[in-house]
Amino acid sequence: MQSKQRIFFAAILALGLVWIFLSADQDGASTNGLIPAPRAGFLAPDFTLETMDGDTVKLSDLRGQAVIVNLWATWCPPCKAEMPALQKVYEEYKARGLVVLAVNSTAQDDPQAIPAFIAEYGLTFPVLLDTNNEAGRLYELRSLPSTFFIGRDGIIYEVVIGGPMAEALLRTRVEEILK
Amino acid sequence: MIEAIQNWFAPPRHLILLVIALWFGWWLAERIVKREGKVHEAAFSNLTFYGLLAFVIGGRVLYALDNLAVFSLSPLSIFSPNPQLFDPFFAGTAAIVTMLVYGQRAKLPFWQTLDALTPLLAALMLGLGAAHLAEGSAFGRETSLPWGIAVDGVTRHPSQVYETVFAFFILNLIGTRGPLPHAGAQFLTFLAWTSAARLFLEAFRGDSVLIFGSLRLGQILAWAVLAVAFLALNRLQSKEQLAN
Repeated sequence: MQSKQRIFFAAILALGLVWIFLSADQDGASTNGLIPAPRAGFLAPDFTLETMDGDTVKLSDLRGQAVIVNLWATWCPPCKAEMPALQKVYEEYKARGLVVLAVNSTAQDDPQAIPAFIAEYGLTFPVLLDTNNEAGRLYELRSLPSTFFIGRDGIIYEVVIGGPMAEALLRTRVEEILK
Repeated sequence: MIEAIQNWFAPPRHLILLVIALWFGWWLAERIVKREGKVHEAAFSNLTFYGLLAFVIGGRVLYALDNLAVFSLSPLSIFSPNPQLFDPFFAGTAAIVTMLVYGQRAKLPFWQTLDALTPLLAALMLGLGAAHLAEGSAFGRETSLPWGIAVDGVTRHPSQVYETVFAFFILNLIGTRGPLPHAGAQFLTFLAWTSAARLFLEAFRGDSVLIFGSLRLGQILAWAVLAVAFLALNRLQSKEQLAN
């Protein structure tokens, strides 16, 4: 009885080995990072948005730098709560190549409230206006805030939905994307 | 259906699925312990409670220690509700060590206790599959099969659905059958089924970590676990035969 079972186990293991080689990823199907999608391991979807001053920022132009894309709105309490930490971490790391893009979800916000918000929190990083919900659509925005940590290679390292994010969370992720 | 689940349990709500699975698994395990009477009920209850506590606290504290430089700049972040400030590997290690220590002190029989914990582990695997589905992680590779699902404009294998269905069958197998003749057989059978499922299903994943160019690391690890489970099952039966 036991020898039959041993043969069965050995056969399963042999089949397993065959399956490993048969299902090897020859065509690079597992090598994501080339397809744009708002998920960890994928290429960050590109967008071009205007700042409050009318300057244009294109995400793909920032390749080579670590980028935090934070989608927010003035009426959103956790967005407000995490802004000081975001500003603090930006100040600490900008010399090492960190860029923070605060993408205001303008399609669902009051544009007139934005300057007062920036002044209140002393934000020095670029605030972009997503007037037509372009970034919101590309990044499948479901809740605010949503934050995307993008590495120097343009690949999303981590997505944090909701907030507020603790300073330690921001720092640990920034350290990773700066590598 | 899949879209509805992804909307209801969009991150971070996908963690609710894990909590539900934990609660269900715990309830099922305690029920089986009560029915079979092989492990002391109160001691088993304490074991799972301390294990869970060690998982939660250990996962956060050890993560903070691992990132001491960062946490020393903002020590209060250790109390942050951010689930991302957590290391599942450290958490699991802390839980295992705590359960081993408590199990020894409470003189719980090792293999029978592992058997008793198996429904809880099986339920957690089901919750993990469902959480992957809700989160959109552990996604499948591209396919042209009719049951493929659209993920970011690409039709992919519903790998999270495969994972959930397999986990459901394994849980059903574990939860509905009676006690096995050998102590430890329940746990080792679960380990064998789960690793075999991973070995098979990893082939449909689109996010596999590759080694040696094209081999999937998940499959190799699953194969190794399967081999260990088979060896242990075989040894268990040999010992039993010798004893008889």
